[in-house]
Amino acid sequence: MTAQDQITTTPAIAIEHLTKRFGESVAVDDVNISVPPGSFLVLVGPSGCGKSTLLRMLAGLEPPTEGQISFGGKVVSSGASGVQTNAAARDAGLVFQSYALWPHKTVEGNIDWPLKVAGWSKQKRAERTNEVMKFLDIEPLRNRYPAEISGGQQQRVAIARTIGPRPGILLLDEPLSNLDAKLRVDMRSELMRIHRGTKATSVYVTHDQVEAMTMATHVAVLRDGRVEQFGPPDELLLKPQTTFVATFLGTPAGNLVPVTRDGDGFVFNGISLAVSAIAPHLDTAQLLYRAQDITVGAQDGRPTMKATYAESAPIAGQSMVTCMIGDLRVTAMVDGCFRAEPGAEIDLCFLRDPDAVFDPDGRRVA
Amino acid sequence: MTELIRQRGSVARLLQSRNLVPFIMVCITAVLVIFPLLRIVQISLTPDGLAAWADVTNSRLSPNLLWKPITTTMILGACVATGCLLLGGFLAWLVVLTDVPFRRFLGILSTLPFMIPSFAAALAWGTLFRNDRLGGQPGYFTANGVTIPDWLAWGLLPTLVVLVAHYYSLAYTMIAAALSSVSADLVESAEMAGAKKSLILFGIILPVVTPALVAGGMLTFAGAVSNFAAPALLGAPVRMQTLSTRIYGMVQTGNIERGYVLALILILAAAALLFFSDRLVSGRKAFTTVTGKGARTKRFALGFWRWPLFVAAVALGMMTTVIPVLVLFASSMAEQSGSLFSNWTLHFWTGPAGTDLAQGQAGIFRDPILLGSIMTTIRLGLSVAGTTMLVGLVIAHTIVRYKGTFLGNTLSQLAFLPLFIPSIAMAAAYIAMYGTSMGRIPALYGTFTLLVLAATANLMPYAVQSGRAVLSQISSDIEESARMTGAGPIRRMTEIVLPLAVRGILAGGILVFIKIVRDLSLVVLLFSSTTPVLSMMAFNYAGLGFMQFANAITLVILVICLMASALVYLMQNKIQGWKSA
Repeated sequence: MTAQDQITTTPAIAIEHLTKRFGESVAVDDVNISVPPGSFLVLVGPSGCGKSTLLRMLAGLEPPTEGQISFGGKVVSSGASGVQTNAAARDAGLVFQSYALWPHKTVEGNIDWPLKVAGWSKQKRAERTNEVMKFLDIEPLRNRYPAEISGGQQQRVAIARTIGPRPGILLLDEPLSNLDAKLRVDMRSELMRIHRGTKATSVYVTHDQVEAMTMATHVAVLRDGRVEQFGPPDELLLKPQTTFVATFLGTPAGNLVPVTRDGDGFVFNGISLAVSAIAPHLDTAQLLYRAQDITVGAQDGRPTMKATYAESAPIAGQSMVTCMIGDLRVTAMVDGCFRAEPGAEIDLCFLRDPDAVFDPDGRRVA
Repeated sequence: MTELIRQRGSVARLLQSRNLVPFIMVCITAVLVIFPLLRIVQISLTPDGLAAWADVTNSRLSPNLLWKPITTTMILGACVATGCLLLGGFLAWLVVLTDVPFRRFLGILSTLPFMIPSFAAALAWGTLFRNDRLGGQPGYFTANGVTIPDWLAWGLLPTLVVLVAHYYSLAYTMIAAALSSVSADLVESAEMAGAKKSLILFGIILPVVTPALVAGGMLTFAGAVSNFAAPALLGAPVRMQTLSTRIYGMVQTGNIERGYVLALILILAAAALLFFSDRLVSGRKAFTTVTGKGARTKRFALGFWRWPLFVAAVALGMMTTVIPVLVLFASSMAEQSGSLFSNWTLHFWTGPAGTDLAQGQAGIFRDPILLGSIMTTIRLGLSVAGTTMLVGLVIAHTIVRYKGTFLGNTLSQLAFLPLFIPSIAMAAAYIAMYGTSMGRIPALYGTFTLLVLAATANLMPYAVQSGRAVLSQISSDIEESARMTGAGPIRRMTEIVLPLAVRGILAGGILVFIKIVRDLSLVVLLFSSTTPVLSMMAFNYAGLGFMQFANAITLVILVICLMASALVYLMQNKIQGWKSA
């Protein structure tokens, strides 16, 4: 999806100034997001950031306090005018985190019932039920009850049930969080296949930034009910606008080094890391270094400082080395397998200039 | 401007149709519970009512009207609570915390006495210990030449024994539940710290179960204070009166206002107690919920005492369940109460009229009034189970859905209010409210409808409680996922919620059914003699001295309850084609 497309098509989902208050507390605070048809929007953030409330408002299960939501140009929820289109009438399907399968209906019954409610004929229902069961590879389970199948299978049934009526918008609430690690990776690609197959616009809530980075066409990072940054995943990774985004996304997460101006340079721990000209108006700043921009062992012409080794984990032929400089935890990458005695003193070398510069409040300045 | 819009918005929200359901439910509970109470208060403030207040509290009559009965009532309550805590606590300790043999069997046995209505135990006592002070046949011992003094045959002691025998299983259930929440970790950490067994019991276990002890004590106290059957059957011949029997006497003899005043006093006494106990306990709930898994409990070795204590517990269970039922059964077959186990006859069940037996009366199954009352009783049980479970489910659902809102809070408090109203006082309030015609509403006194209404109000807390238990098994996700499909409220109710809830509804329904079928204190004031229910007939026969008939009818009630339970059990098993996730 290019920027060009976004301008020319009506957004599939447009969220404007959306706010949700529960009494005194603000769960969702002035959120603005808009995505074109066919997007895969991921709402990511730590628990309690308001992402599930936002999803429930999209589903029509909660009315907004202020602001509005439009699907395909049509207002479905509005805090001001009180418009609140029925959950069912907004052409959206929701996959619950708990799956919420109806335990007294078989797999087939679970998929069939929403179609029945929607008034489909018996023959069309049977066709569609078979189609989605085949699509999700759960045909052999058709006569089983939810309690008789595994968690991963329940997940598939929940998805099949939701995509049965062909919703234009597919909402998913942490759908992989109840699965074990291996199944989660399998299901991730499965979900992307389903997204492509249904052509629905998907909104996916997760606290796992890896899921966000692998699946999304658009990512909104939420924090305390506000959108910290919204854009394509690469943009968020390469150009984080806040320290929160910079440290929340990416594997391993970026390092933030607090520095103070000393003459021409920004200094940390007595070592000058960068020229102060990169942020001429700041006395203190935070510099973003990717893990791959820091390594172990001194190199000529690059700033090097002493650190205390803490731990190391092998990743794809490299080692992710974590050390402490005072109270600051720093992650560096080393080729091959690196081991040291915990507590040992090692040299950390900053290979490149900082990726980004943030002011003390966490906003990006360069 | 924005302020104006916001205000209009909030008013609109209050008037939204989504508030209709809680509003209606608040109205229903108000009509069922609040109005009768207000009416009884209002009547007690009329000139006649004020005169009654004076008579009851401050006159030549007041010792007999109020002070003696209230003293007896309080003594009964205190002794029953103490006895129940001792017996229930002993059994709970034995079953949960020791290595006594056949613990499961003992556990089940200890919960059974509550199933036997207190008037069954009272009748069984009379069958054995009745002396010739009153007319009619003497009891087993007297007929066999054993002199039974009045204090053993009538009055406080037998009432006390019967009530303890009925209520101790309630205390057992609560204390056992609390004791099983004392995890082994808790006990073992005390052992590791070097505490002795006695210190562990008094320093660790007892404080943790204190809330349950207080709650159990108060509930048994409240039960004993408001019980009607036992003091009426065992106390009346020696003029022992409690508040309950006094209220009944006043209403029966036409001193309605005095009855209302006494009912108000009983309500206040019961409410004050339960409120007090709730206060006492509520701050300490945190104790029992500190740990998430308390599944494993530590059992103390009894050593030599294992079998003796087992025998004692079994004997206790037998004496309060099997033996009373056996006595009732034998008595209903015996021509003479002096020889319970010989010369058995079916006369009292199926015999023809005009014989020498039972002053020429026919057996109960030949009595058309009794046969009618079996049907009335079952119809009453079914109706009340139906109405209370319906009201209970809707109220429970509304309370959960509207949690935290004004209407939701009001509803939840109203729904549990009847817990504070002893059923005989509730009956008195219903006579006050619906006994006379009001405008278009005809007088309902003596009608089936009135009894169903009063019973619904009386049992509402139990129904709401079971409704909550039922609904807690259905996560909001499951209903919301049905809502996402576009299914309307009625369709969601019938196709998603009800199928999932039906087992729980049956369980709650049978509880209500049994409670009302064997109830005496509510029906005794509200039912007319033309269409009596079984418990009323048993009570009347006992009053007339036809013990065999009273005992036979009581057995019929027990059989109805047992059969209903068995039927529900079978239905529940049949329904569960799917297993819950």
